[in-house]
Amino acid sequence: MEAPIIDIQSISKIYTMGEEKVHAVKDISVQIHRNEYVAIMGPSGSGKSTLMNILGCLDTPTSGTYTLNGTLVSDMVDDELAEIRNKEIGFIFQTFNLLPRYSTLKNVELPLVYAGISNAARREKAEKALRNVGLGDRMGHKPNELSGGQRQRVAIARALVNDPSILLADEPTGNLDTKTGDDVMRMFEELWEKGNTIIVVTHEPDIAAHAHRVLRVRDGLIESDTINEHRVSIPKKHEEAVEAEPAL
Amino acid sequence: MFSQILEGIKIALSAMRSNKLRSGLTSLGVVIGITFVILMGWFLQGLDDALEMAFASLGTDVLYVDKFDWSGKKSWRETMNRPDITLKQCEELMERLKSAEVTSIIARKWQTTVKSGNQSYKGIAVCGTNSVYSGIALGVIKEGRFFSPVEDLYSSNVAIIGYEVAKNFFGEDEPCLGKTIKIRGTTFTIIGKVEKQASMFAPPFIDNQIYMPLKSFLGLFGAGKNLSIAVKAGGEANLDNTRMETVGIMRQIRNLPPEAEENFAINETEAFRDNVKTLRLSVWAIGIGMTTLSFIVGIIGIMNIMFVSVTERTKEIGIRKALGARRSSILFQFLVEASSLCLLGALIAFVFCSVVMFGVTRMDWATFLSPYIPPQLLLIATVVSIAVGVLSGMIPAMRASKLDPVEALRYE
Ligand SMILES: Nc1ncnc2c1ncn2[C@@H]1O[C@H](COP(=O)(O)OP(=O)(O)O)[C@@H](O)[C@H]1O
Ligand SMILES: [Mg+2]
Repeated sequence: MEAPIIDIQSISKIYTMGEEKVHAVKDISVQIHRNEYVAIMGPSGSGKSTLMNILGCLDTPTSGTYTLNGTLVSDMVDDELAEIRNKEIGFIFQTFNLLPRYSTLKNVELPLVYAGISNAARREKAEKALRNVGLGDRMGHKPNELSGGQRQRVAIARALVNDPSILLADEPTGNLDTKTGDDVMRMFEELWEKGNTIIVVTHEPDIAAHAHRVLRVRDGLIESDTINEHRVSIPKKHEEAVEAEPAL
Repeated sequence: MFSQILEGIKIALSAMRSNKLRSGLTSLGVVIGITFVILMGWFLQGLDDALEMAFASLGTDVLYVDKFDWSGKKSWRETMNRPDITLKQCEELMERLKSAEVTSIIARKWQTTVKSGNQSYKGIAVCGTNSVYSGIALGVIKEGRFFSPVEDLYSSNVAIIGYEVAKNFFGEDEPCLGKTIKIRGTTFTIIGKVEKQASMFAPPFIDNQIYMPLKSFLGLFGAGKNLSIAVKAGGEANLDNTRMETVGIMRQIRNLPPEAEENFAINETEAFRDNVKTLRLSVWAIGIGMTTLSFIVGIIGIMNIMFVSVTERTKEIGIRKALGARRSSILFQFLVEASSLCLLGALIAFVFCSVVMFGVTRMDWATFLSPYIPPQLLLIATVVSIAVGVLSGMIPAMRASKLDPVEALRYE
């Protein structure tokens, strides 16, 4: 079997706040392979986001090892992690986290700026990524001129523009209504079909139902790790229908 | 790299645009600091140029043997009691002096009334001298020529007029050669006109002067005058040598015993240099003090606005870090922003300085100053403003670059 893309071995994360210590992640070992579609579920405060931040190299575990794509990243320092995030990880946040002063195109270009890619190549790649999410005609718009669904699609374009090995989404539909949430989930499904590795953090069973593997987290520990026998795949929608979504 | 700078400037500009008043106020210190740097540099430059010009017009290798002391070290009473320098003494000195290149007698009659046609002006200085004087300390002859040795010998009634005289009688750029002026009833033909010589350090009468052959002068005003002698050493290296010889001969001529003080003065352009040094020093001291003070205020202001900017954009920093920004990229971004703020201050200062310079140079006393900012000062001011930006932006930028990405992303 192919080596896992993500290999974490008994990692823990302890937050120290004065005297008090919070054991956000206790002892988690997980392996995730290329082109898996994993949902991380659990009640609020169970350690999902903490785990996600470690997986995304935004944070380092207090103990344990994390090997990403064959590289040991758990011992890396700030700037090394920044490079890993830039090359290997695509983030999708609940609150989109677009830069409000930048146009859609500029937002999507940003990871390429930090990758040191030239102006022209950057533009070309960013335009292509935006067209792929159906926003080819919104490149000059600022985020506040877009609907929530469109914003999240910009964020997806930004996450994909640098061809990362994993896509990490933390409650990606949390700020969207059901219909636009479904659009985003459909996009994930398509990405997965194209061979992307996707990890989605959610507390909504509806969203988790689309994944083919579900990790349940409770009190910083993995409660269960199951293959989703009854995957719900979203029926394909016609392209025009996506385009027709009205702006805010 | 370059695109990053451009990017940084754009960010800074849009941040400034969204908060004009705050940006304006905080960069005020920088504006004032840069203004001081430019105005001080400009003034000192002008001072130096004017000084060099004055030196050139008086001759840097020329000694003036005179009854009066330019440096003002001797009391007025003491110098008034000195004997006059007579024509005979002058001639003897010129005869015996071997180390000098050329020597020329200078006689002046102050406050003379001069007429031309039905015009009459008081207060003109008439200078009787030798033909060689034009090679010692005269300004540039703009039109015509100086008088010749022959005209000197035969006491011809010819005159060379200064800029003010020409302007008053005939108009600034009107031709005046061949025209005549009348002094004490004698008519003189104008054969030359001297270019404007006025500057901060030139004697005030310099342009309001009429030059004529010494013999004509003596015939007009009598021979019993106090005279002075211009001694051109022929190179500054020879100055000490010539000074020593001149003093020695003058003492002999005046029969001064070895212990007696000199009852004449040897004046040099060097005397001005000391005065100017003091002026320079005070301008420096004031300028440096004010500059430092305003830069300290400026740095504190910019640092403050940068801390605010970093705090306001914590989330943005988190996003950038999540997307792969290294510490250096974030650091650079905020340094560029701080420098752009300072550069903006410098631009405002440039405009302000230009206005001030334009105004000041229109005043009479300041004609020696150039009405433009010298290019090297522009360069210095630009570099200084960027340096101030980097200095004041460093601590906030470091703080930004070290933010923990998870914490920063959580910030609302
Ligand atoms: N930076 C932090 N400092 C202190 N405690 C934290 C920090 N981040 C998370 N925690 C705590 O760790 C636990 C897990 O949090 P989190 O991973 O955000 O849970 P979830 O995303 O599942 O809601 C919670 O008890 C939370 O209060
Ligand atoms: Mg969470």
